Parts: sequence; C-alpha cells; structure tokens
Amino acid sequence: MSSGRTRSHGLYRTWVIATLRRRTGPVLATSLGIALAVALLASLGAFLSSSKATMTRRAIDSVAVDWQVEAQPGSDSAQLAADVGATAHVAAAEVVEFATTSGFDTTTGNTKQTTGMGQVVGISDTYRSTFPAEVRSLLGSDAGVLLFQQTAANLGASPGTVISIGRSGLQPVVLTVTGIVDLPEADSLFQAVGAPTGAQPQAPPDNVLIVPSPTWHKLFDALSVARPDLTRTQVHVRLDRRLPSDPAAAYSSITGQARNLEAQLGGAGLVGDNVAAALSGARGDALYAQILFLFLGTPGAALAALLTASVASSAADRRRREQALLRTRGATARQLVGLGVTDAITVGVIGAIAGISLARLVGRLAFHSATFGSTETSAMTWTIGAIVIGFAIAVITVALPARRDAHRTTVAESRRAIGRRQNPRWMAYGLDFLLLSASALVFWLTSRNGYTLVLAVEGVPTISVSYWAFAGPALLWAGGGLLIYRAVSLLLTRGQAVVAAGIKPVVGDLSDTVAASMGRQRRVLARGATLVALTVGFATSTAVFNSTYEHQARIDAILSNGADVTVTTSPGAIVSPSSATATAIAATAGVHHVEAIQHRFAYVGADLQDLYGVNAATIVAAGRLQNAYFAGGTAKDLIATLGARPDSLLVSAETVHDFQLHPGDPITLRLQDGRTKQYTNVPFHYVGVTKEFPTAPHDSFLIANAGYIAKMTGNDTVGAFLVDTRGADVAGVARRLRDVVGTSATVTDLVSTRRIVGSSLTAVDLSGLTKVELAFALALAAAATGLTLWMGLAERRRTFTIAAALGANRRQLGGFVWAEAGVTTLGGVVTGAVGAWALATMLVRVLTGVFDPAPEALTVPWAYLATVLSICVVASAIAGAATLRSARGLRLELLRTQ
Amino acid sequence: MTDQSIVRARDASRTFGRGASAVVAVHGVSCDIDAGARIALTGPSGSGKTTLLHLLAGLDVPTTGSIDWPAIGDRADLRPGAVAVVFQAPSLIPSLNVIENVALPLLLQSIDRRTARVAALDALTRLGLTDLVHSLPEELSGGQAQRVAAARVMAGRPRLILADEPTGQLDRVNGLLVIDALVHAADRSNAALVVNTHDPDVAAHFDQVWSMSSGRLLQREPARR
Repeated sequence: MSSGRTRSHGLYRTWVIATLRRRTGPVLATSLGIALAVALLASLGAFLSSSKATMTRRAIDSVAVDWQVEAQPGSDSAQLAADVGATAHVAAAEVVEFATTSGFDTTTGNTKQTTGMGQVVGISDTYRSTFPAEVRSLLGSDAGVLLFQQTAANLGASPGTVISIGRSGLQPVVLTVTGIVDLPEADSLFQAVGAPTGAQPQAPPDNVLIVPSPTWHKLFDALSVARPDLTRTQVHVRLDRRLPSDPAAAYSSITGQARNLEAQLGGAGLVGDNVAAALSGARGDALYAQILFLFLGTPGAALAALLTASVASSAADRRRREQALLRTRGATARQLVGLGVTDAITVGVIGAIAGISLARLVGRLAFHSATFGSTETSAMTWTIGAIVIGFAIAVITVALPARRDAHRTTVAESRRAIGRRQNPRWMAYGLDFLLLSASALVFWLTSRNGYTLVLAVEGVPTISVSYWAFAGPALLWAGGGLLIYRAVSLLLTRGQAVVAAGIKPVVGDLSDTVAASMGRQRRVLARGATLVALTVGFATSTAVFNSTYEHQARIDAILSNGADVTVTTSPGAIVSPSSATATAIAATAGVHHVEAIQHRFAYVGADLQDLYGVNAATIVAAGRLQNAYFAGGTAKDLIATLGARPDSLLVSAETVHDFQLHPGDPITLRLQDGRTKQYTNVPFHYVGVTKEFPTAPHDSFLIANAGYIAKMTGNDTVGAFLVDTRGADVAGVARRLRDVVGTSATVTDLVSTRRIVGSSLTAVDLSGLTKVELAFALALAAAATGLTLWMGLAERRRTFTIAAALGANRRQLGGFVWAEAGVTTLGGVVTGAVGAWALATMLVRVLTGVFDPAPEALTVPWAYLATVLSICVVASAIAGAATLRSARGLRLELLRTQ
Repeated sequence: MTDQSIVRARDASRTFGRGASAVVAVHGVSCDIDAGARIALTGPSGSGKTTLLHLLAGLDVPTTGSIDWPAIGDRADLRPGAVAVVFQAPSLIPSLNVIENVALPLLLQSIDRRTARVAALDALTRLGLTDLVHSLPEELSGGQAQRVAAARVMAGRPRLILADEPTGQLDRVNGLLVIDALVHAADRSNAALVVNTHDPDVAAHFDQVWSMSSGRLLQREPARR
C-alpha cells in the first residue's frame, strides 16, 4: 500500500514536471482563464469593501450632531448632560435649549413684518466649534443673536435689525440681530426625538433665532415654568466614531450604543440617533453596491470559468490519447483521475498566483493601492475567497472532465469532437427558449413592484435584497448564450450554402469543402462563437450600464448644483440680472454662458414653497433640462407652454394632488413685494407638472416666468446664476468666480457636488469599478477570441499539416483558418452585440433604484465598443496568423502521429 | 539513370540537430527512380526510411547533397498533383467525409468541384469503397482509412507515389488490400511507387527491394517472389 502510494506520488511528480516542460502553452492558457477569474473577483471584492467603508465614512461625515439626547419631563438637564458626557464613546456633549415662540416681527418705516410661530434656540459659546456643520454664517457676526436666513428673508431683516420675539402668555422681548445664518441640518436639529418616522415634522420651522444660552435662559426660564410644553432641553453629542467600516455593521453598532445609553439614563433621556439615520441610508446603498458587484462581477467570473473550460476542452483529445496510452501501460482509473487532479492543481496554483498579482497590479494602477483602498484584512478575505473560486473552476473544468474520461469504457467513445453526434439534448428540449421565456416572466413579475431591489420594511431594523430580481438578467444571459449556440449551429448545418457563399471571397473554389468541414465542427465553432458573444455581451452591457450610470450621476449632480458652476446670491442681497456682479460673472474667463434664475418663497395656501423664475427661451439648454424632470410632455414642450403666457405656472405633482388642480386652473400665490416687503397675492394659472429642477428641492416647488414675477413683485433679484463652462476647467472657473463675487454669493461647482451629493449610490464614485470592469472585459474579449481560437486551431495543427502536405498553398490554408476565425469572431460579435443591448436594457430597468433620476435612454460608449471590436478582430487575426505560420512550417513529426 | 527520372538523389544527407547531439538520419544517398518503378524500401526502425521518403517527396530538404525531380520540375511543382504521399498514421482530414477527402487534392489544384467529385468517386469505385463515400474518417477502420488514402492518391493521377509504412497498423488481409490499391493507383498513371515496409510479404509485391541501415542505402535487388 505504502509503496503503491509512493509510486503514485512519483508518477504525479513526473507528470507535473513533464506537463510544465512540454505543454507550457496549454497550461498557461488554461491558467490565464483562472487568473482572470481570480483577479476579477479579488479586485471587485476589495473595491466593494473599500466602497462600503467610503459610504460609512461619508455617511458619518455628513452628520453635524451625532446624537441629540432629549431630556424627558421631570429630568434634571444638568445631571443628564453630566451622565451623557461620562458615557463611553462620547467625545463632547453640549446642552441646547429650545423654546417655541408665537412669532417674530420687525418694523420698517410704517410697515410691520410678522412671521408665524418659530423656535428660539439657546447654545453655549463653544457649541459652534464643537459642531461646526450645524450653523453656517452668511452675514454679520458669528456670535450673538443669529437669525435664520429664511426668517431674515421673510422679515427683510439683516444684521442690526431689531426684532421682537413673541412669548406665549408673556410680554414680547426685543433683540438686535448680529448675524444671518443658515441651518444646513435643520431637519435633524428640529426632529421630534423618539417619535416614529411617520410622526416626524414634514419640514423644519421657517422661523428660527439662535441666541447665547444665558440670553435664552433670561428670555425663557419664565416660560419654562409657565408653559413647560413650549420649551425643551437636549444634549448634543459628538462621538469618537470608532465604528465598523461596513455600513450595516456600523448601523448595528451605533444603534446598540444608543440603546445602551438610554438604558443607563433610566428614562431621563431619549436618543435621537442622527448617525444611525445617516447609516440607515448608507447600508441600503451598500446593498446596492453589493448588487452591482453581483450583477457585474458574477458574469465576469462565470465567463472566465467558461473560457477556462473552453481552453481546457481544446486539449481534451490529447488528454484522452494520453489516458489511453497510460491505460495500456497499466495505469488504474484512480491514477488517471489523480493525474487529472494534478493538472487541476497545477493550473489552479499558477492561475491563483497570476490572478492575485494581476489584481494587486490593477489596484495599484487604478487606485494607487494594491488593496483598492480597503483594509489588509478585508483585501485578504477577498483574496482567499477568489483563490477558492479559482481552484473550484480548475477542478470543474480540468479535473472533472478527466475523471469522466477515465471512467469511459473505450477511448474511441470519447473521441468524438467532430462528426455526426446528436445535438446537445437541451436543444431538443428547447432549453434556450424556456430560459428566455422564464427571463421575460421574471422580469415582468419583478417589474410590477417597481424593481425595488433593496427592501427596507418599516419598523424592521434590517434591510434585505430582493435577489429574485437577479433571475431575470441571469436567465436572459444563460438563455441568450444557448440561443446563440443554437443559431450558429443551425447556420453551419442547415445554412451551409449561405456560409459557402459568404466565405467564397476568402477561400475561392474550396468554399463548399470548407463550409462542409465547418458544419462538422459546428460544436467547437458554435461553442467558440457563443463564448465570444457572451464576452462581447458582457463587455458591451457593462460599458453601456456604466456609461448610463455616469451620465445619470452627472445629471444628478447637475440637478443638485444647477450647472457646471452655480453662483447663489446671499439672502437679502439685491442682485439684478443687469448688475455689475452679473456682468462680472459673464466676463470671467472660462464662462461660456450665464443663466440667471430667480428664487423666491411663495405661499400656496398655507404651504411655503420654493418658486423659481426662469427665462423660458433659454432655460432648457442652460439648465440642461431632461424630459424626466417633467410629466405629461418633454422639457422643451412644457417650458414652451410656460413661456406662451406670462402667468403660467409649473407645479409639483404633490401640489397638483393636494390642491386638486387641472390644467388651466387659476392659482394664487402669496409673494413678498420687493417695494413694500409685504406678502401680496399674485395670480397664476397652472399649465403642467414638474418633478425635478436644477437646485430645487425634491418635494414641492414651482416654476414661473421670471419677467412676470419681477413685474408683479417689483423685484428682479437673481437667486442663482447657472454658469456653463462647457465642462472645461470647472474647478478653475469656480475659483475665479469666488474671487469675483467675494462674500456676496456662494459658488459651488459640479465636481465638488458630485463628490458630496446626497446619500444615493451615485455618491459613490464608480469610475474605479468602471475601470476595473472594463479592463477585465477587454482582457476577457481578447482571451475569448484569440486564446480560444488559437487553442482550437492549435489542436488541429495536424489537419492543417496534412492539408499542407497534400499541396494546399498559403491562400488555401488561410481559407480554412480565416473562415473558422471569421465565423467565430463575426458570429460572436454580432450576436453578442444584440444580446448586450437586451441585457443592458434589462439591467438598467432592474437597477432603476440605482439611478436618480431614471435614465431616458441608454448611453452608448461608442469608443469603448470600437475598442472591444478591434481587440476581438486583432486577437482573432493574431491567432489565425500564428496557426498559419505553424502549418506552413510543415512539421513532419505531426504526420507520424495520430 | 536517365533524364526521364522522376526523382534523382545525389549524395543526399539529412542531419537533425547540431553539434554533439546531431543525428544523421540519411547519409549520402544517391539513387534514380524512373516512371513505372515499383520499389519497396525496407530496413529496421530508425534506419532512415521515413526521412528518405520525405526527402524524395520534397517535404523535407537534404542538409547536404541534392534531390531533383527532372521529369516534374522544381520542388514547388511537386504538390498538389505530381507527387502523392501516403502516411503511416491516418492522414484523412477528420472534418471531411470520404469523398471530400479524396477530392481535396484535386480541389487544391483548382480543378472544378464537379470534376473533382467525379474523379474521387471513380477512384473510390475502383477500390470498392463506394459504400463509404459519405462516411467520416472516425467511422472507418484503419484498413479502410488507408485504402481511402490510396483512393486519394489514385484520383490525382500523380507521377510519383510515396507511401510510408501504409500497412504498419493493419492486419495482413487489410495490408494487402492497401498495397493492391496503391499499385493499382500507380498503374493507372504509370507513376513510380516507393513503399516503406517492414513486411517481406509486402516487399514481395514490388519489382525492387531497397534496404537501408543507419541512414545508408545498402542493397538494391529485385524482389523475391
């Protein structure tokens, strides 16, 4: 037994050495397929891990105040602050007081401006340095009595203005405004802590005043006693933010910490967890990233496995001959299987080493980091996972076929790559049609719920992915591949006359013979063409998806920023379209076009909404308005309708629903008059629905004609200038404009906005993923065409040598080779392109949730597709030329062997 | 030795490799083969028979000395058409059926498809292989495959037929059928026929038996019938 094992070990060692020395080409070719799979998975995995960490970091970074711990009635707020401050992970804690005021008012000359109810917030001297993102100074002093910009606009107030503050049941008090501020995180600042999501206020208060804590106590301590329901105290917390890098794990961790604090406080305080709220969105995005990884990475790995199988099967005849020879020398079936496993391990090891090296190289080139920016541990986990899959591919494509052959009864039975063997059984059963039908059915079923892939059920802390939706594209991919096999196979058999006519210009009088030869090799050629088609399909659909994604991400950024560069005037500043500022902006180097839009607040009934005044003649082009921004017509049509009558108004769908509007209905808005500062009724009539508009909020807003608003309110002040740079030097133009406008306006640019926009997945820069994906797709395309063709042709070198020995000249030999290469490559590329279109369309539909806004059409990256086509053609040409060169060398030793 | 020689070798040698590992497979062979010659080339394995056959077929070139084909022309004129070779191992193209394999050399000579098929069918008929016309090489026995290879030679009417141990993998009955087919093919076009063989029974079918040893052509004598 022991000596038998030793003999086998010697056999395997000899086999490995001989294989590496004598069959270097096939071994390397097979290993290449495994290397591509390993490299792709390791790269994408590390990128996914890095992306998730980025999402977590960005989500946390976007939070101004980590926790808002609200004191419960009867609790001691000083003790609460002390207890919270002493809690683990708390880096800083500040007490913040809130009081509800009955309103603010100011007097200008003979007119008095009054607001509705509002909030007066008391903060300490150190609050703004502890939470710098919570309050942003716009005008005047950073400290003292700070008025919220919207309130300032409503009151027509500026630094120095005296305002009166109403106190329920008490005498109003008077304060002098020292500065105007913005509250970027007003939603979270004024949240109802402890209230469920549905019970949260729909909008933050419009009227807010921030005062120093001593002032607040002076003004409202009495109110706290008289009307405790109108005041509340919170402890705002900054955490040490030591959280796991995965958003879901970070969410779970931070939620646990918050619950732990609540338990420690024993009912004295409730935690408003802003970090968890931010991470909640990020973990959904992380799942979308995971979906993208599966959608884009899995087909790539599957293709690499198919490529490996295809290359390995090219050498199957040789393996069977060797097995037959070994059998005659007394090798047992077990030893033959052992040799197959040895082959699998050999290519697995080479493929894994090459794959990991390639992944690290790609990481360095694309991300300047071998680990793609992820942690070493995370990268190592993905590396190990990729290696395991690489070995699995080696076992499936190399060891299992060897095992199957080793157990065959005769060698002759297994040598039937060419001939009359029946078509694969799946063709008779119509498996391809069944898969395609199933794909269409699944697509239809999943589309009924609006392609919601990430499911976040209300009240359930975990979120999940609807993997069912994956079935549609997966079945389309598999069914499409089989259909291509069937189509090529049918063409080569039933359509031989067509093939002969098609190749006649290349092979001349041999066309019928070559077509007949190809018909009998239909299995090999159909397999090759299918592989090329799937690879081209993968490359094309990935590229189309990525381009569409990039295009939409840009639109998303434009929606948020408004234009390449946007200059937003400060509240209260009077900047007319013909002002010196406007002229200076237009004259700035790099500025191609400037579009002025008005921004006002208008009351629709009791709702305060954003109103944008536009120039209908120029806004479609200047604002790069997409059809998806409007309902019931194209952007051009609806803006033309708007421009047709001065008092036309476009409103949001929500407003149409709330106010039961019908086209042509009159609608009266209350707008502030520029001369009297009083709100006045201005008549409009409703002409259409708008869903999105550059710089506008996502919910309710209005669009009207700028000229009409200016005429009716006596105020043509510009809210923002949309600056078109034609995409060139956006950051440079923004810098120059900042110098031009100084502190009188805020300048934002598309590039920066794109980095920070929202929490949607478009916030994750997928350009790295795009680079990796597309580079691998090109490598796969080259390998699928060149390598498969070369391996297939190389295994038939003897056939070409026989033809050469019979007297076939260069052109005639070329006829055989180029006809096969042409059918494989051309057939694959054409069918692959058709399949890619279908797949990309389905991918974009299924992944609708990834896009914001949804794309109107696919974006086709023609340059990349031309590169894919060129690579297929060049790889095919190199494989054919190498085969011809080898055949013309008339290797006589091939004529002595079978 | 006449100007009508189909093939003429003068002190032809073929060496493989260089330096210490060089192997002289054919050593200073001189011979003339005329039209209609029937020659069996015998000798032990490794004596250089196959290499000499490849040199005579123009598939290989001598390292020293010369080989000419006075009645045919240059080396470039040998194939397709004038010289036909039958190899020891099956030499049919697996993806072509029997008639397509037989017609292939004619198509390579730019003979039109119809004429080539008629000639191929005629050759197969003469060799009694009509029932295999649409068979694929993988469906043939070894003897059938070599007879089809002989039919391929016959269809082309070559001036020189060279066969490298065509019966080496066949039983006696099938071996003799193949030899008959080759002789028949040679008779049809008055071609010179040279066959490498180990088998004395096969050699007995030829007018002359040439023997080789260690790359040298030793004896040339009439066959003993």
